[in-house]
Amino acid sequence: MASDGPINLADLPLQQLQAVKNQMDEEIQHLTQSYAQLKQAQVKFSDSIESLNNIDGRKDGKKNVLIPLTSSLYVPGTLADVSKVIVDIGTGYMIDKSIPDAKDFYKTKVTFLRENLDGLQETITQRENQYKGKRSLAWLRRRN
Amino acid sequence: MSVAAVTQQQLEKQVGEFQNLQKEYSKAVSSRSTLEAQLKENEMVKKEFDNIKDDATVYKLIGPVLVKQDRPEAAANVNKRIEYISGEIKRLEAQIKSFEEKQEQKKMEIVKLQTAFEQLKQ
Repeated sequence: MASDGPINLADLPLQQLQAVKNQMDEEIQHLTQSYAQLKQAQVKFSDSIESLNNIDGRKDGKKNVLIPLTSSLYVPGTLADVSKVIVDIGTGYMIDKSIPDAKDFYKTKVTFLRENLDGLQETITQRENQYKGKRSLAWLRRRN
Repeated sequence: MSVAAVTQQQLEKQVGEFQNLQKEYSKAVSSRSTLEAQLKENEMVKKEFDNIKDDATVYKLIGPVLVKQDRPEAAANVNKRIEYISGEIKRLEAQIKSFEEKQEQKKMEIVKLQTAFEQLKQ
């Protein structure tokens, strides 16, 4: 870590300080981007759970759905079998699962992602605090 | 040609080589992280294969088509992939290490040339 290394940041010339700043900028940007991507994946899995809740336990005669052909064109359809769904488990493989099993699968994914998101959030906050300290340093130097 | 000019030429050449090394280094690092992501994904699939019931049907996505697959075969396939990717990561790690060493060497050479150049200029 730069902050506890042998190099005292206050001694660095402004140009190098700028380089350190750029590096940290990039790092924070990368972390924020990863956070957004993880969040997106989490939303996708939550949506899948929502859809499963929706079709779970539908009785005969209540299996009507509208199938999207395009985002603005739908045709009426009927669900033939609501006891099983096919779940994408990654790398192109799909598995038949009962609806409760599928829900469990997605719930595990969502929890896993939440843990990762929390950890990432912490790192981002940490980095931002470090970064704030450096920025004020650069600002002070510029005034001198 | 003066000694200073020769030194400068050498310096420029070394800096160019150093930059090439840096480029290759970052390329290796980024392909390692891609492979690591793939490894994670495959491991998750393997875990899923270990957990499913025996009568569960496995499909593989080939283009836009879902094709039914034999479960043991699919599991073996994933295992093989994990093995391959782990091997690739190891290979890249060795490569990255050698790049790091080479970079360090080049840096020393450049610093040496730079000092020589500065002295010649004076």
